[in-house]
Amino acid sequence: MMVQALLLILIIPLISGVIMFFIPKKERRAQEGLLIIASLANFILAVSLFPQNFTYRLPWLDSGIELSFRLYNFSSFMLLSTAFFGFLIALYSVIFMRGRNFLNQFYGYFLLCIFFSNAVFLSDNLLVLFFFWEGLLLSLFGMIAVGNKEAFKTATKAFIIIGVTDLCMMLGIALTGHLSGTMTLSKINLPLNNPLASITFILLMIGAISKGGAMPFHSWIPDAATDAPLPFMSFVPGAMEKLLGIYFLTRISLDLFQLNAQSGLSTLLMSIGGITIILAVMMALIQKDYKRLLSYHAISQVGYMILGVGTALPAGIVGGLFHMINNALYKSGLFLTAGSVEKQAGTTDLGKLGGLGRVMPVTFGCFLITALAISGVWPFNGFFSKELVYDAAIERGMIFYLAAVVGSFFTAASFLKLGHAAFLGKLSSQNEKTKEAAGAMLIPMIVIAAACVIFGLFNQLPLKYLIQPILGDRLEGHNFSGFPVNITLVVITFVVLFLALANHLFGAKIKGSGLAALDHIRYAPALSKIYDLAEKRLFDPYHWGLGLVNIISKLSLGIDRGINWLSDGLSVRLAYGLSSGIRKAHTGNYSVYLSWSIAGMLIIFVILIIL
Amino acid sequence: MYALLVLVPFFSLLALNLPFRELNRRLAFGFAAILFLLQMGLVFIPDVYFWRVHLSFFANIFHFQLAADILSKVVLFCIGLVSLTALCVSRSLIKESEERFNFINIILLAVAGMNGVALAQDIFSLYVFLEITAVSSFILIAFEKDILGLESSFKYIVLSAVATVLMIAGIAILMFIAGSTNFSVIHSALLSQNRNLLLSLSIGLFLSALFIKAGLMPFHGWLPDAYTAAPAPVSIFLAGIVTKVAGVYCLIRIILSVIGFNDQLKGILLLVGAFSAIFGALSALTQSDFKRMLSYSSISQIGYIILGLGSGTALGVAGATLHIFNHAVFKSLLFVNSAAVESQTGSRDIDKMNGLAKQMPWTSLTSILGSLSCAGIPPLAGFWSKLVIIIALWLAGYKIYAVIAVLGSLLTLAYFLALQRKLFFAQPNDEFKNIKEAGFGLIFPAFFLAALIVGAGILSPWILSNFILGFNSLVGG
Repeated sequence: MMVQALLLILIIPLISGVIMFFIPKKERRAQEGLLIIASLANFILAVSLFPQNFTYRLPWLDSGIELSFRLYNFSSFMLLSTAFFGFLIALYSVIFMRGRNFLNQFYGYFLLCIFFSNAVFLSDNLLVLFFFWEGLLLSLFGMIAVGNKEAFKTATKAFIIIGVTDLCMMLGIALTGHLSGTMTLSKINLPLNNPLASITFILLMIGAISKGGAMPFHSWIPDAATDAPLPFMSFVPGAMEKLLGIYFLTRISLDLFQLNAQSGLSTLLMSIGGITIILAVMMALIQKDYKRLLSYHAISQVGYMILGVGTALPAGIVGGLFHMINNALYKSGLFLTAGSVEKQAGTTDLGKLGGLGRVMPVTFGCFLITALAISGVWPFNGFFSKELVYDAAIERGMIFYLAAVVGSFFTAASFLKLGHAAFLGKLSSQNEKTKEAAGAMLIPMIVIAAACVIFGLFNQLPLKYLIQPILGDRLEGHNFSGFPVNITLVVITFVVLFLALANHLFGAKIKGSGLAALDHIRYAPALSKIYDLAEKRLFDPYHWGLGLVNIISKLSLGIDRGINWLSDGLSVRLAYGLSSGIRKAHTGNYSVYLSWSIAGMLIIFVILIIL
Repeated sequence: MYALLVLVPFFSLLALNLPFRELNRRLAFGFAAILFLLQMGLVFIPDVYFWRVHLSFFANIFHFQLAADILSKVVLFCIGLVSLTALCVSRSLIKESEERFNFINIILLAVAGMNGVALAQDIFSLYVFLEITAVSSFILIAFEKDILGLESSFKYIVLSAVATVLMIAGIAILMFIAGSTNFSVIHSALLSQNRNLLLSLSIGLFLSALFIKAGLMPFHGWLPDAYTAAPAPVSIFLAGIVTKVAGVYCLIRIILSVIGFNDQLKGILLLVGAFSAIFGALSALTQSDFKRMLSYSSISQIGYIILGLGSGTALGVAGATLHIFNHAVFKSLLFVNSAAVESQTGSRDIDKMNGLAKQMPWTSLTSILGSLSCAGIPPLAGFWSKLVIIIALWLAGYKIYAVIAVLGSLLTLAYFLALQRKLFFAQPNDEFKNIKEAGFGLIFPAFFLAALIVGAGILSPWILSNFILGFNSLVGG
């Protein structure tokens, strides 16, 4: 029974995804029906599989590449999360995507994405895992590419960035196989005591954090926010990518390698986390587009998770994983509110929005809850996971804690600005007729918002039953549920949130609008130049890469032309020049020919007699 | 018994011209054809049945000694093959029967001379047979008695006379040193000699004379004019075999059997060979006359043969000999093609004729095979002999010359591709719209030779393994 369920949870999304591609464009009802049924079936199967442990092996080719799937508490938790978001966002996109082109492709890639994610979570063999991991890239590319006209370029950008980092991961997997002698995940447990192991860890880590969207592999996400269909943003960078990236990061830090708290690699991970938090949130501050602002938070929030997992302390890992699921909840919820605004008001440009809270009260309510959650306000879920991360970060170093807290400050500030600009203030004239979104779009938002509240108020529910079992022995008997133990940190958090509110009120008062409330930071003396450069994409590694590729290709072209000139220009001209010279020398006069012969004879005598 | 190879053509020449001239005129073609076919066939007869049977009767009447080794046999085969081709072509190109009869007579004489060269075992007989061959080629070049033919024949006579003088002087010196004209006697006499001025002089005279005969650069002045001005069947005959036997074969024979290799000699051979291979090919590049291009190509290919010889190893000599055979096949083929093009269009100017591939498909196809074989493209026959030559050069330590040989191949490919593109594949020219394929008399030999190129190419590994072994005894360390 369990085996059938396990295979079904892979087969159903795969088959229905493939069928989806062949449903004709006009059969909209059939497409929507298949999407809903398949994602619902996936959810039911995930629930039925939930608290179980077993392994299913299918030896293949006798080559170490074993098609093996392992269901245990971590993977079943991830399956459940995927199925939960998959179903809600499928429901949402049925309404949202109406009237768009390439629906069958989008839905098909959506289901394939669920399939590949399920397969990644279940895989117990690194090569098999990597195979499905690469499959995700395919569905990612497909889902971005069906967006607007610019989307193809963005899809290519995402494809290249993730493709390159996946290459690192592939190398890492090969090295892991070399070091451990097996590709079976559950059998690998390597100490990080030599350089090769460290390099392997870093390579695998690059694959994991780039999937999560951490800096410096983030730059496609803001572009995708404007170009790709919104349900994609809500599902993939909002939820799935974090789940996948942090899942794999946790696997390599906990299972594959023995990452301990004093190691340099742990510090490296924490640094990446801290830098990502600060830089991404600074960029989020200045955005004037609902979706783009959210997309920078999608980057910034992954910093907390990497910081948490990177501490290699039980509190940090639990916090990071808790933050992962919390972020997936409120981030996808926030994107859904953005989609609701886009669908109803026709734009996500904050300059054109305003006062929507009155005409779209449910959307506003959901936004309020999820925004408070992401800002880390008690009693919502974000508060508890952030406190756990703070707790672990301060134990490893004040600087990491500071980064996290400053990140919190700016997060709160930017969401105050977003809420103020979009939902408060005066209703602009073109939005006077805007109505609340349709029920099928509201239900997912409400469910997610409710989950944010439940995971906050009853945080022992996810912590005790979902997350803490993952750590097993490493938990060392701790129990992190309930109200945070370290009251000092909680007080600091409240102070910081209060300061963010004060800062917003101050900014809004001097500038006179919610949108411009953070302009005093944007145009602060030292920051304004950096921001200018950032807006010109000077800090985008992809941009540098493109420039470098350009230079290399020009150089190669130059070399190629040069060689071509040598072979096709110079040598041909030389040959023809010589040839016509010789031709002119043949005058047809036999005395000339005779003299050549005599000259040749003399040379022969010289060689024979003198040399 | 191989004395018959000289005596039969020679006496049949007499017989054809004495009684029953009218009858003979009709039979001459068939007789000559059978004779040449027999000659080709004889090469494959095992030694005991033919080559080692001695007829003391003939030997006592004519005081010349003959012998045949593998080198001679290859050359004898080529003589038969090319003579047969020239004969076939003459049937459709020399219309008047009297003229054709004359042509056959001279060919027979030339074949007698060349067979003698191939079999001679002493330098004076070699010289005599060489002169018989030369005289018959003077006549052949001026066969149509037109001004160009006479002029180029005269050029050939002048340079050939110089060569004759040089050679006879060389022979005189060798006789003076060794006291005999027999190859083996001179060879053993020279072994006991130290290097001295007289010997060097004699070698130098021989080399110069034979370079002129072979048409190597810079001794080649007569060659392009002679090949171009001669009528088509004569061009085939001259380019395919006469200069190879008169020049190249003699050179190989004298070096192998009489003089023996030394460093200076090898140096000269490599220098002259490489010079001819490269500059012959370069000269061919800008020629617009089909036959003139082929003439320069001949110079270039002879350069390759001399390069192979210059390596001084059994492998190199084997490659050179194989290349003599291949060159006889593909150069005859290309001259047959040029004859076909000339007879159908009335012109040999490559620049004027375009896109003949549609009108003359068989000529086009066979000429491609000939060109590719000449340029050394696998798996055609020309590839293997060039490969053997290049490998021999490399193994002998003459790596620069091996590289030059490869570069020369590129040039060869360049001018042949240019030729093919202009002549057969460019946009068809209105002027030559109504051209038809050449007649059977020209297509059949072309087809036969092309089949030989492909067949010999595919069978080459077998030929090589059976063929190179024969050369180890020849070079003798």
